[in-house]
Amino acid sequence: MSFTLRGRIESRLAAALAPLLAACGLAVVLTEWWPLALAATMIGVGLAFDVVLDRRLDYQPGWLALPVAATELAAIMAIVYALGISAPLLVALAFFAGSWALAQILTHALFPYVRLSYGEDGGELGRVGLAVAVLVLASLALFGGVALAMQPPTVRLSAGIHEGPLVLDQAQNLVGEPGAVVRGGIVVTADNVTIRNVTVVGGENGIEVDNAHNVTLDRVRISGAKLDGIHVRRSSVSIRNCLVHSPAGDYAQGIDISFGFDLAPSLVEDCTVIGGREGIVTHFAQARVTDNRVSGTSLRALTLTEMSMAVVEGNDVRDSLGVGIFCGDYSECEIDDNSVDGIRPDDASGDKTRMGFAILAHYGAKAVIGDNHVSNSPGGTDAVLGAEISTEK
Amino acid sequence: MSETKECAIVGGGLAGLVGYATLRHRGLTPAEIDVFGTDADPAGQWRARAAAIRQRRMRSESDGHCAARSFPGLAVRASLRDKSPLPLVESWLDRYHPTVEEFLEHVQDVRAESGWDESLRRNRVGRIRAADGGFELDGFGRFRHVLVATGHPGLAFPPEVEGDPRAVHAYQPHEYAERVEIVGAGMAAATEWLNALAAGSDVVSVRRREPERRPLNLPRQLFTRRGLAAYHDKGPDERRAVLSRWSTPSYPAGRTWDEPVERARRVGRFRVAAELNGADQLICATGFRRGYTHDPLLAALVAEHGLATAGNWIILEPDSTVGSLTDGERTLAISGVAGQWAFPAADTLMGAKYAARGFLRKVVACRSR
Repeated sequence: MSFTLRGRIESRLAAALAPLLAACGLAVVLTEWWPLALAATMIGVGLAFDVVLDRRLDYQPGWLALPVAATELAAIMAIVYALGISAPLLVALAFFAGSWALAQILTHALFPYVRLSYGEDGGELGRVGLAVAVLVLASLALFGGVALAMQPPTVRLSAGIHEGPLVLDQAQNLVGEPGAVVRGGIVVTADNVTIRNVTVVGGENGIEVDNAHNVTLDRVRISGAKLDGIHVRRSSVSIRNCLVHSPAGDYAQGIDISFGFDLAPSLVEDCTVIGGREGIVTHFAQARVTDNRVSGTSLRALTLTEMSMAVVEGNDVRDSLGVGIFCGDYSECEIDDNSVDGIRPDDASGDKTRMGFAILAHYGAKAVIGDNHVSNSPGGTDAVLGAEISTEK
Repeated sequence: MSETKECAIVGGGLAGLVGYATLRHRGLTPAEIDVFGTDADPAGQWRARAAAIRQRRMRSESDGHCAARSFPGLAVRASLRDKSPLPLVESWLDRYHPTVEEFLEHVQDVRAESGWDESLRRNRVGRIRAADGGFELDGFGRFRHVLVATGHPGLAFPPEVEGDPRAVHAYQPHEYAERVEIVGAGMAAATEWLNALAAGSDVVSVRRREPERRPLNLPRQLFTRRGLAAYHDKGPDERRAVLSRWSTPSYPAGRTWDEPVERARRVGRFRVAAELNGADQLICATGFRRGYTHDPLLAALVAEHGLATAGNWIILEPDSTVGSLTDGERTLAISGVAGQWAFPAADTLMGAKYAARGFLRKVVACRSR
């Protein structure tokens, strides 16, 4: 089809109307802004592509929609990552794919069906197209304005050492510039707090989150905490791309999320935890623990216990003592696609449940496992004290 | 004073059918439209020409159909009928070319669904004359809106073969002699090379220029507003130059065309010559006469109403109407090859749709006043 620029834009915005409404609905249901941010990014990238393609293409064959879509998707994902839009990857991909498929159906079937001269007019939709375009752009401006107005303020943490502990008791985005370091820990007690690009050194706990919801810790680096690197109590958090290194105390743990079973599930994703007694641990909490790297722990690398409900997926656990992945005390765990290597028996403890188990279900827990890769771990996979392990069907 | 009827379509061929289907789609009844043509079958002439050159597939792609709506096109219909995604995939790749049989079936479907036969008057209109609030059609009544869709004004023969008993036009029924000369370098000529070679003839391609190879005869953007806006902005001289340039013959690139010719060339059964030199048979694949002057109806229309012209072309508004004979009460529009001033590809089905939609807009605007 030979689109005009106006035709491209009108067709694009008319096809974006339904996804935008779906994003609004999703935002309301989830009480999150990311669906709208994702939809706005898709529309913005699409319009930018329209302007670029209009200058380069007098005629656009149907097949070109595929490579253009792939390039658009790459640009969208880059922007989503750069802006820190917290859209789950699979949902974002599904949203894009659905929107793209709908746009194809509309531009190749529905628009030509309802408008005789659609192709001849280069994709222009006349007064209706103009009205829909204005509606979509006005909606974006409205929602964008509301979203911006409701965003917590952003506090920039300059490069250099800041003495802690910092107490964040109001909603805010704390964004560190390169080289920003807090010595003595950070305490979060307010909802809707984001901490990004901050290094924390020392402190009782590196970052402590207490009775707070919708807290995001993104690209934080923590070392030398006396107790836990990240200590979460009665809160729901999303922790991404973190590094927790060498907690200092005898009872120190990497990340501990506890006592929030009745709250929204927490997420620990793409973090590296090195050392400590337990790498990532949950007590009586709901959590997704995915794509993390945990090594050098002295008690257990990943622990889901005290009636936790957790998905443990795609983690790389290695070189730890006693137990690799532990599902204990009436917890329910899905343990898939993990790699566990080099879990050494803790002979000195004399505890038969610490003899180098890669995956251990313990005391009434139920674990469903599938596609885990276990090596150099003499205990292998086992269930003890009334626990059960079943294999994914 | 006689009653003024609503719409007339002068011309009972494919361009007329497209115009009729478009008007019917917008809600005009068969009683409101009179179609004047000599053949009951709107595809009659086209069918005969396609049979003469043994055409098997359509050159154009998905939009080359007669229905008012662009969607569903022939590829979608074929996919549904055959329960196969292949036509859709081919269309997606700009490689779908329906067979002539499929196209002709589709024409009959549109004919039946639109009620064409109810509106057809088996008469030839020889004269159109502007009158108060409409146009008098040669004694067949007065019509408020007239779409002229008279088609090509006869076959073109090179002057040097006129009267030569060996000469036949590619679009006239013919067989192939042992040694044939095929004049021309376009789609019909290329088709005839393959036909004659397949029939066992030795072929001399007589042409004065190397053929151009294009998927369609015109660049695709000239079929849409994108290219048309720039075309409509051109002055008369520039526009004539554009039309002359794009009227050069062409046929699509591809092995289907090249391999048989190359094989024949290697064994001496195909060669190229610049002049005729006395073969058993001369096949003139030289298309149609060009220009409104070859169409008596249009020539009279221009002469009687002093219409503006430029070379072979009647000057039209961008929507294919004749500006000096169109106002808030009446419309005269030209579809088919004579409408090239408004739409360079006017001799295609897309061109017929373009003119029909422009005509429809005027009719609707007039009715809503």
